[in-house]
Amino acid sequence: MSKKFDFVIRTWSAWAPGFNNQGHRQNQQDMQTEKAGLPAHVPKALQRRLSPLARAVFNATDLCIGNVATPIVLSSAHGEVNKSLEMLKAMQRGEEISPTAFSLSVHNAISGLFSIAHNNHQEITVLAPGQDGISMVFLEALGILHERRNNTDDVLIVLYDEPLSDFYPSLSIGLKAPTSCALAIKIALSGQGLPLQLQRSPEHRHDSGEHALQIFAFLEFLTSENTTLQLGNHRQSWIWHKQ
Amino acid sequence: MENELKQLIIDALDLEDISVADIDSHAPLFNDGLGLDSIDALELGLAIRKKYNVKIDAEKADVVKIFSSVSTLAEYIQAERS
Repeated sequence: MSKKFDFVIRTWSAWAPGFNNQGHRQNQQDMQTEKAGLPAHVPKALQRRLSPLARAVFNATDLCIGNVATPIVLSSAHGEVNKSLEMLKAMQRGEEISPTAFSLSVHNAISGLFSIAHNNHQEITVLAPGQDGISMVFLEALGILHERRNNTDDVLIVLYDEPLSDFYPSLSIGLKAPTSCALAIKIALSGQGLPLQLQRSPEHRHDSGEHALQIFAFLEFLTSENTTLQLGNHRQSWIWHKQ
Repeated sequence: MENELKQLIIDALDLEDISVADIDSHAPLFNDGLGLDSIDALELGLAIRKKYNVKIDAEKADVVKIFSSVSTLAEYIQAERS
């Protein structure tokens, strides 16, 4: 049996159409039309740089961050690659590229805005975990906690994604994000909160879908009575147990 | 020219809450003034090149002076075009 990792979810919060902040289901018809509002505490000069996905991230993290800056690990399958596509199209038309658009198209753009807006100088990592899905962000965050890097007791995990342009072919695991979504989870090795255990399973699964769908699966796991969640694509899978 | 430049700044930099009347021609554009940053400087440089066909070389020794206010920018653009 593989090693088991125990940890605690201190608090969590989501911005996802169809769910309210603490994950209770809303009317599914709202899913396509809902847009995240502008976080009021973000300076005006930064607000104009917040894309709809960045707003979703800021809204999800608002209820989780607390007063003490913690290390953060963010994870997104594609980030805002749609912006890169728009720039490539502009180049094809012979136009010059907007420096602002370029600066906001990179995979860690949202984390940079977040760091500036919250004056957070802690370690911030952004993953693009591909087929390994959301399990990798938990491993990275647990690594920080076990090494006690930054002398921290808490690490903030942020999962986010938006629908990918139809220009890109679907992978075989397919099943793209239905809508923009962001889920913030503050974890610690012990203390008050929801105790969970993460474990690798040798079982190959092919049914978990892309990172974006796994965010919704985890949200469902958090809000339901289910005690186990297993996710995987092609390679090994990972199991989360509520203790 | 100065008002036209102010509108260009508002449009190019997405300054939604600011009107032409709010921008002082002699106030600093960056940091303390409008609160613009280095990315804005690049974006504004691109917008000026597109609209006036005037290139402001970032390596130029007096680039900070050129970008210091709407007034100095307008002077520079007019001098380059004439």
